[in-house]
Amino acid sequence: MSSDVVLSAEQLKKTFRIGFLRKRVEAVKDVSFRVYRGEIFGFLGPNGAGKTTTMKMLMGLIYPTSGRGEVLGRKVGDVDAKRRMGYLPETPYFYEYLSVEEFLDFAGSLSGVKGPERRKRRDALISRVGLDHARGRPLRKYSKGMLQRAGIAQSLMGDPELVVLDEPMTGLDPIGRKEIRDLMLELRREGRTVFFSTHILHDVELTCDRVAIVVAGRLRSEGTLGQLLSARLLSTSVVLIPGPEGLPDLPAGTIRMENGGQLELQIPATVDVNQFLGAALSRQCSVVSVVPRRESLEDVFVREAQAPVATASEVKT
Amino acid sequence: MNRIFAIAHNTFREAVRNKILYSLLFFAVVLIVSALALGELTLGEQVRLTRDLGLYGIDIFGVLIAIFLGVNLLYKELSLKTIYTILPKPLYRFEFVAGKWIGMLVTLAIQFAVMGAVLYFALFLQDADFELQTAKALFLLYLNVMVITSIALVFSSFSSPFLSGIFALGVFVVGRSISDLQMIGNRAGGMTKSLIQASTYVIPNLNVFFPSGTIVGAERVTVNGQFVNSAYLVDATIYGVGYSLIALFVAIVIFNRRDFV
Repeated sequence: MSSDVVLSAEQLKKTFRIGFLRKRVEAVKDVSFRVYRGEIFGFLGPNGAGKTTTMKMLMGLIYPTSGRGEVLGRKVGDVDAKRRMGYLPETPYFYEYLSVEEFLDFAGSLSGVKGPERRKRRDALISRVGLDHARGRPLRKYSKGMLQRAGIAQSLMGDPELVVLDEPMTGLDPIGRKEIRDLMLELRREGRTVFFSTHILHDVELTCDRVAIVVAGRLRSEGTLGQLLSARLLSTSVVLIPGPEGLPDLPAGTIRMENGGQLELQIPATVDVNQFLGAALSRQCSVVSVVPRRESLEDVFVREAQAPVATASEVKT
Repeated sequence: MNRIFAIAHNTFREAVRNKILYSLLFFAVVLIVSALALGELTLGEQVRLTRDLGLYGIDIFGVLIAIFLGVNLLYKELSLKTIYTILPKPLYRFEFVAGKWIGMLVTLAIQFAVMGAVLYFALFLQDADFELQTAKALFLLYLNVMVITSIALVFSSFSSPFLSGIFALGVFVVGRSISDLQMIGNRAGGMTKSLIQASTYVIPNLNVFFPSGTIVGAERVTVNGQFVNSAYLVDATIYGVGYSLIALFVAIVIFNRRDFV
């Protein structure tokens, strides 16, 4: 299995020294995880959790204070590994005086892609990300969504095995987000591995094979969505229209909401819902829907984000 | 090497598309042409005045362009965050800095070629004979800006453009006054002499690249008469290129250690 690991972080830690007094700020305290070949791996965390710092350490932009990272079996920063990897930084900043054609050409030549192949790949990627209509326009005239697409195209110029995307959906409208999600799924179908960071949970639920949650610089959970989300029932939502004989007695702890002629009841998991439904039917109530509510990724995320932090303070002087 | 070339090409392309550089170049050309007009006022000395003023203009604007390019070279990549896209590409950090440096030197070479062509044209309009002294002086001034821009690059690898510009300008002023400073040091003696002597090991002697009016060998040289020979040009080239390469090395060492937060 270890040969299938394409990206790994082992106890990564980063402490910055900031300001005149050189205050110590621990941006990343302890992050370890592995990304396997062919999967879409979501790196989750609230704002300021250390996602971007961790990614920058893995991309060789920031040196870790301790710990180590490996990309495609090689030490971070290895040029051969970088040749087989593509990266989109958080919020795309590109050379605004270049057109997307020139930019992709430049990215291709840095990735060692030779002339005719480079042009072929460039044209195919421009079409793939839907920028054909603006291929000669300077990037300074691009909208945010267009820049994001240009950024994804440049990350693919080297035909990478591993694609690393830092917050690729941020600032995009629903259509733009769906396009990026579809592209990630397409990349997986092509056999590539996708590692991306986000705090948009809906996108994760729709795309990821596995996720890791980082909070306050520490990794809290890692696994498949199935492993992270417990199958435990949290409550059952019952919508019904009361019959002529009214309602049976509501179980203790039930939350009741009226909506027009309908009644929505949130029944605690400890209650036998079948017994309650039987009583309701015998009073000629009509049951509109019964929906069990289990733990969602959002529940896990909020639970992890609100759990107490292991160390007392983030800032040590 | 291809990667260094790609970075150099992009650096050159960025400079070509930068309007501020065009305005600096425009002012340099205006100065050279105004030398032509002033020359008309000095009977019999038109050619000398045009050549002198033209070369001064190229010197001053060349240094301004070099500092402007040098201080922004790395800083812009950091402040505009374009570096986040480039460094994860398959290249070493030193290739990035070297590529930027080469791109900047090519840009400066083209700027000098344009300014030199305008000066030769101005001289041609005054029926001056074609001579090589002006070309030699232009070459020395190019070496001068190569050194200045390399120093600006060092400052730019850890400081803001404003401070880098001030530092680089300071080095230019001190570097041009180094002979005078040495003379002051020799007269003062003691600590002052040692301090000035120590600083001459770090700060380049930029008089090497502006020899007109100084004594070289046993003779006073001037671009309007007896100028420096090829051996002098070779020595100046070794000095200028050597100093610039050391500055490049220092910039690479600083850049290599940086975190790009």
